[in-house]
Amino acid sequence: MNVVATQLVAVGLGAAAVLGMVAVVAAVLLTRAARPAVVGVLTAAVGVAGTVAGVAAMTGQTWSVQLPGVLPLSGVLLSVDAFGGVFLAVSGAVAVAAAIYGIGYCRGGGGGGLASRGVQVATPLFVVSLLLVPAAGSVSTLLAAWELMAVTSLLLVVAEHRRRGEVASAGRWYVVMTHLGFVAILIGLLVLAAPAADDSWDAVRAAAGTLSPAVAGPVFVLCLIGFGSKAGIVPVHAWLPRAHPEAPSHVSALMSAAMVTMGIYGIVRVGIDLMGGGALWWWLLVLLLGAGSAIYGILQAVVSTDLKRLLAYSTTENMGIVLVGVGACGLFTSTGRPVLAALALTAALLHIIGHAAFKTLLFLAAGSVLHATGTRDLDELGGLRSAMPVTTAAFGLGALAASALPPGTAFVSEWVLLQALIHGLPAPGVATSIVVPMMVAAIALTAGLAVVTFVKAFGVGFLARARSTAAAQAHESPPSMLTAMALAGLGCVGVAVAPTAVLPTLGQIAGALVRSGAPVSGALSAELVGVTGVLSPVLLVVALAVGSVVVVAVPRMLVAGRARRAARLWDCGAGPLSERMQYTATSFAEPLGRVFDNVLQPVQDIDVTHHQESAYLVSSVAYRRRVPDRVERRLYQPVLAATAAWGRAGRGLATGSVHRYLGYGFYTVCALLIVLVVTR
Amino acid sequence: MSAVHVQLLNLSAGALLLSAVLVLWRRELVVIIRVFAVQGIALAALIAVLGAVQGSLELAVFAVGVLVLRAGVLPGLLRYALASGPQERRETRPLVNVAASLLAAAVLTLLALAVSQPITALAPSSATQAVPIGIAVVLIGFFVLVTRRRAVSQLVGFLLMDNGITAVGFLTTAGIGLVVEVGVALDVLLVVLVLQILTGRMREVFGGTDLDELRELSD
Repeated sequence: MNVVATQLVAVGLGAAAVLGMVAVVAAVLLTRAARPAVVGVLTAAVGVAGTVAGVAAMTGQTWSVQLPGVLPLSGVLLSVDAFGGVFLAVSGAVAVAAAIYGIGYCRGGGGGGLASRGVQVATPLFVVSLLLVPAAGSVSTLLAAWELMAVTSLLLVVAEHRRRGEVASAGRWYVVMTHLGFVAILIGLLVLAAPAADDSWDAVRAAAGTLSPAVAGPVFVLCLIGFGSKAGIVPVHAWLPRAHPEAPSHVSALMSAAMVTMGIYGIVRVGIDLMGGGALWWWLLVLLLGAGSAIYGILQAVVSTDLKRLLAYSTTENMGIVLVGVGACGLFTSTGRPVLAALALTAALLHIIGHAAFKTLLFLAAGSVLHATGTRDLDELGGLRSAMPVTTAAFGLGALAASALPPGTAFVSEWVLLQALIHGLPAPGVATSIVVPMMVAAIALTAGLAVVTFVKAFGVGFLARARSTAAAQAHESPPSMLTAMALAGLGCVGVAVAPTAVLPTLGQIAGALVRSGAPVSGALSAELVGVTGVLSPVLLVVALAVGSVVVVAVPRMLVAGRARRAARLWDCGAGPLSERMQYTATSFAEPLGRVFDNVLQPVQDIDVTHHQESAYLVSSVAYRRRVPDRVERRLYQPVLAATAAWGRAGRGLATGSVHRYLGYGFYTVCALLIVLVVTR
Repeated sequence: MSAVHVQLLNLSAGALLLSAVLVLWRRELVVIIRVFAVQGIALAALIAVLGAVQGSLELAVFAVGVLVLRAGVLPGLLRYALASGPQERRETRPLVNVAASLLAAAVLTLLALAVSQPITALAPSSATQAVPIGIAVVLIGFFVLVTRRRAVSQLVGFLLMDNGITAVGFLTTAGIGLVVEVGVALDVLLVVLVLQILTGRMREVFGGTDLDELRELSD
């Protein structure tokens, strides 16, 4: 028993690997009816094993194993440290909820091909790959696990390609961008590992100091691009708002809550752990990218009418906030303030955990809506509260958690991050003293817009009256899906009420990475070390609860004695209120769209058709409005157009004559030989 | 290496090159196939001489294998492909006419000689001095592939290239190992079988095997 308790990381990872293989075999062998349940339970067990391993690693257990025979040339080196443990635990926990959810989601009408052998094999493999990435102990192992993660997630994204045409397009965007990102990571990490004795993290870390700044800078930028594209950072985010909505919802949850955080893992591992900080401009770049992603992501989310696309853009926003934390950590490291650096990194890690909890919950609830109504369009939803009470409660909880208000899940992490940034002033250097206050403002703006976004998503999507027959005929989801949402909701409440259970541990982990002490202490309230700041989430929750009770109950008590009278709601005398009189998602976001008109540049068409007899009488008005992704239009379209033009130019060479094609080869060989003869 | 061996080696190498040039010169497809069979014999003789010089049984076995495959099986297959379509007897209208082709063959042989200087200089012997011939056969084979229109003569061009590559392989090293050699031979056999079927299908569908008529298939 003692051996097991001290070797929990090894036991957990081993169990995860074995269970994953069993799940794959079960998916291949079982019949279609039994497959989702068995694979779902086994995959959830993989998640539990991963969580156990991760939590054990966070508390200080380390473990490493060399498997030379698994991959040719370099072998596989797994080594789990406390920092990787955070990501192991997050991935494992998300996988538990997603896998249980998948039991009901894959079996029901939620997907035509979701119970198919391919999807059911890819799901456990994807979860295992999510556990392998943070457990990788060498460059080659990381790259292999990364590729496994990309391929399995791609298979899951295109799972429903027979039902909807957009899935194939989303899959193409995803596969191209993820592989371009992989190329960037590959080049960056190989150059980084070139001077090292072997490619394990320890050797690379020891040799990273020998790189000249002229090499280290590009290496970091390449890794930032590659890992950033996985994290959905603007401007390399274009795959995310496509792939997340089109994937099956439990896969969206896995991708959005667990997979994108691997991008952050990579940036921190390379920039802070292996390269030990580096130059100031790296981190100013990271900060600006993070703030840009946060603001741009939430602005796109606020005007989005597609529920899952809104959540996808919210992922970009949250990863942007995390990246601000990472950037602040690097900034304070390179300006010699390790305590603040550790504090910023702690905030980033806590935000990753909180984001995983609420984004899992939100995507699962959105999937439940999609399962029940068949649509993701907020303008066609509404009135789900009575038909789907559990899902509505789950989404409401998730929306509160995501909106950075107390007692929300995201509140504590953003508070810690703001503390780190505010205490970073006065900052040395002009650039730093301009950028750091900008970050504070950016996070404040993001938090405000997030509130609007989730009020819109919850209010328009779930409350009021149904806007379509599909929404009116909605039904509650099967118990497995509700169980999964309850688990994720429990996670949200846990992080919101008792973040102090993990904050000191996260502080120690962050402190170890930047070589400082733990920046946070306290069991009941979070007390910052080195700077002044105390926050007690529990007391805050209690105070808010008491306050709400007072605000709601006191007026009721005051009016309780008066006589009540039932009457029709006043409707200006225009007949009964219909569902067409409600706010829609578009109209709710319209004022914000006006305010941020210059940033978003929405496209709207108004077609007025007049009567034939008179131009003064209007027969119909058609109004269309869409908000194209501006970054995409300005950055991607020119690149795509240039590539297409290059392809068209190359077509002149290919006339269809076989002789000509052979001739190209022949003349090239002859020319090469002549060059060899002449230049020798 | 005795003088007789050197004579025999040069003779077979000369036959190799001469047969390649003859493929360019003649137009009747039947004759081209016959010339290709002769080249197979020359290649087998070259390998047999090398085997005799080195006293290696393995090379002798290779020589027999090459003889069976390149002077027997492959020409037989080509003849079979030709027989199934009686209307194509001659290589009409090659992209480069015969006189120019012969000049080109001369230029290509010169290029091969110039290119293989460093290989010969590495280890001067009568075997390595024959290497340019192998390279020249490769280039001439490629030239046939590029300039001839009929599918059968293109196939012969491809096989000429392979003969040249085999010759260079045996002349520079003492063979490249039994497994590799057998694998390559099987590959070549497979390619010829596939192309033979393709030729038949093309004739069925288009009534001829002029590859330039396939231009319509490009987008």
